[in-house]
Amino acid sequence: MPGILIVEDDKELREMLKMSLLRKGYTVQEAENGKEAISHFKPFITDLVVTDLIMPEEDGIKVVIRLRELKPTIKIIAISGGGKVGPGSYLKLAKALGADAIYSKPFSIKDLIVKIEQLLDNEQHT
Amino acid sequence: MKKKPEIPDRNDYLEFLSKEKEISDQIINHSRSMITIINREYIYEKVNSTFCDAHQVVLDTILGKSMGDVWGHDTFQNDIKKNVDTCFSGETVQYEASFFTPKSGTRHFEVVFRPLSTEPGKITHLLAETFDIHDLKNTKQAVIEKEEELRKFESNLPIGFLRCDPTGRIIHANKAFLSIAECQDEQSISKMNLRSFYQEEELFEIQMYQLASDHTQNFGRVSLKNCSGKEIPCRVSGFLAVNGSGRPVYIDFAVEDCSRELMLENRLLQAQKLETIGSLAGGIAHDFNNILATISGYSEMLQDDLPKDSELSDKVSKIQGAVRKAQSITNQILTFSRHVEQEKVLINVSEVLKETFGFVKSSIPPNIVLKSWIPKMNANVLADPTQLFRVFLNLMTNAIQAMEEEGGTLSVNIEVVKREFVKHELNRAIIADEYVLLSFKDTGEGMEPSVIGRIFEPFFTTREVGKGTGLGLSVIHGIVTEMEGEILVSSKKSEGSEFLVYLPVSKRYSAIREKKNILKKILFITGNKYESRILSLALESAGYELIFISDRKNFVKVMNSISERPDLIIYMSDSKQINPEDLVRIFVSQKILTPCILITDQNQEISDKNLLNSGIIYQQLNKPVSLKEIRNAIQDLLR
Repeated sequence: MPGILIVEDDKELREMLKMSLLRKGYTVQEAENGKEAISHFKPFITDLVVTDLIMPEEDGIKVVIRLRELKPTIKIIAISGGGKVGPGSYLKLAKALGADAIYSKPFSIKDLIVKIEQLLDNEQHT
Repeated sequence: MKKKPEIPDRNDYLEFLSKEKEISDQIINHSRSMITIINREYIYEKVNSTFCDAHQVVLDTILGKSMGDVWGHDTFQNDIKKNVDTCFSGETVQYEASFFTPKSGTRHFEVVFRPLSTEPGKITHLLAETFDIHDLKNTKQAVIEKEEELRKFESNLPIGFLRCDPTGRIIHANKAFLSIAECQDEQSISKMNLRSFYQEEELFEIQMYQLASDHTQNFGRVSLKNCSGKEIPCRVSGFLAVNGSGRPVYIDFAVEDCSRELMLENRLLQAQKLETIGSLAGGIAHDFNNILATISGYSEMLQDDLPKDSELSDKVSKIQGAVRKAQSITNQILTFSRHVEQEKVLINVSEVLKETFGFVKSSIPPNIVLKSWIPKMNANVLADPTQLFRVFLNLMTNAIQAMEEEGGTLSVNIEVVKREFVKHELNRAIIADEYVLLSFKDTGEGMEPSVIGRIFEPFFTTREVGKGTGLGLSVIHGIVTEMEGEILVSSKKSEGSEFLVYLPVSKRYSAIREKKNILKKILFITGNKYESRILSLALESAGYELIFISDRKNFVKVMNSISERPDLIIYMSDSKQINPEDLVRIFVSQKILTPCILITDQNQEISDKNLLNSGIIYQQLNKPVSLKEIRNAIQDLLR
């Protein structure tokens, strides 16, 4: 089963995401912030990353850029609850930098899972 | 005492006389005045050197000539003769005249004719003395002009200027002061004492003391009152003038109206306050969105675990409904704190205003009159039209609510103003040559000053608890600020309120409209033409072609026509002619595979579960839909 890495500093939200993905049978890894995500990243296990954008330590934008470098074929979904600094153009930026999909919090977990399936499905066909 | 010379004999006497004559001739000849003696026949009998010099003639050619010969017979008859005759009648005549002399050209002179008599009881001659007063006169004129200039300068000075006697009684006040004091004329003000313009008379006494000890004083901001008793904040400074012995002679005061300055300061403070609240609230909203995402995620999972249509499942639906409500609040806060990015297109403001106006008009209470001046104008701004619609709708709805009980008039106006005007009104960095100025004015209950200062703060509301979140005006403040515009309010209790919105006009060329080849057709199924027209304004400017449908027959017709068949369908749940069941039925019977976006009212319970479960809805959006959301959804589906 494909591996998914969740990068999210909010513990409850991270656990919710983890549970919903586990229920669908995915292998799930977690990281609390961008720094951890990058240093613990295992290219052979992880096929898709769901990352928050605004976090302490390295923020999500760096995660998007760095993980793309480490594994160009990786699928990335960025989620954000609105920028804390300035007009939040984070989501747009993330998309421009290579996120495959973006979501604003709160999002529908069903939509997210449909998107994940779709992205990983395309992966298998190509 | 002059010692009398002794006269020994006749020869000596004659010699003495000739010497005396020589001296007196010299005195006469060296005089700076032209001196002549004229007899009753108007003939020059004696003429001094100054006269000859001025006329550049030798003495002999003048002596024996008449005044007419020298000045011209016409001039003599018209200008000179009557003065000369008056003098011969025994009066000294003095007048000013300007005439030509070969030496100095035309200059100004003072002429004096004095009667002389060489025979007792008879005036035989006159003594004419002519002084050059040209330079003196010019200097005098210059002084008068200078004085006039100073007076004008002082009266045109934008700063009020007052001269008072040492007790504070006004001697003189310039125009600016009269206008600050709103006083009709200088006459009535000159009887008054400056003290009477002070809100606190003790303060005036203190300031007079200060002036007495230190003659120049800047008193800073002082609260004055004008002739009608209205308070005016002014900056006052004084200067006490003393004479040689140190006694006070007069006091000059400069009085500057600083109400505009105060107003701008207040506005800046307001803006800073809102900015602070915004970043605070924005941070909280961000954290809340995390929490909401968790709640929403778990309840969705729970929903999956529970049998459909069970009581528990209903309860979970209620949780999800609450999450949606909470999300709408966090979204509003994020919009207020400008943490939400607006997707902007070039849009004609008057078109959006017209649509909003039409929308409001359709549901206006009968006791409220709508007045508008919305001319066709080519003023485009960079904005999300749906957000602009929200701003206009909110302002109009608020105005109507303010007049709900008593009734009244709502006036909506739009005009384009130049940057200079905006600069004066807003005193802020101006980013465009022109601004669109919109005004929403009601005759409703109005607001207290304490309320006006806070209305843009989030969660500030004057309505009863539970009626409205108090976010409406904060949100529109956020939207307008994000557009680099400004929103201002003025209001008087029980007279009404006026909101002014300034939006910078964008001269940017709309490139998207030109790319006809990327046109995709979108079919709108809607009940509310105004609201959907706002969306369509946005989408058209983003390069989509739109078809509107409100009834079943046309829908089927369009779907069956190959040339008109849309690439995408947007279904608004308020559509009355085509209800959700109809939609599903038509989709199924016509075998329609076109992707469909559903737009629902967020407060409306999703009663159309059948619609959601039918599989024809690809994406669901909640009102209010921003341009960004709908474009993302469309792009996703049309990719």
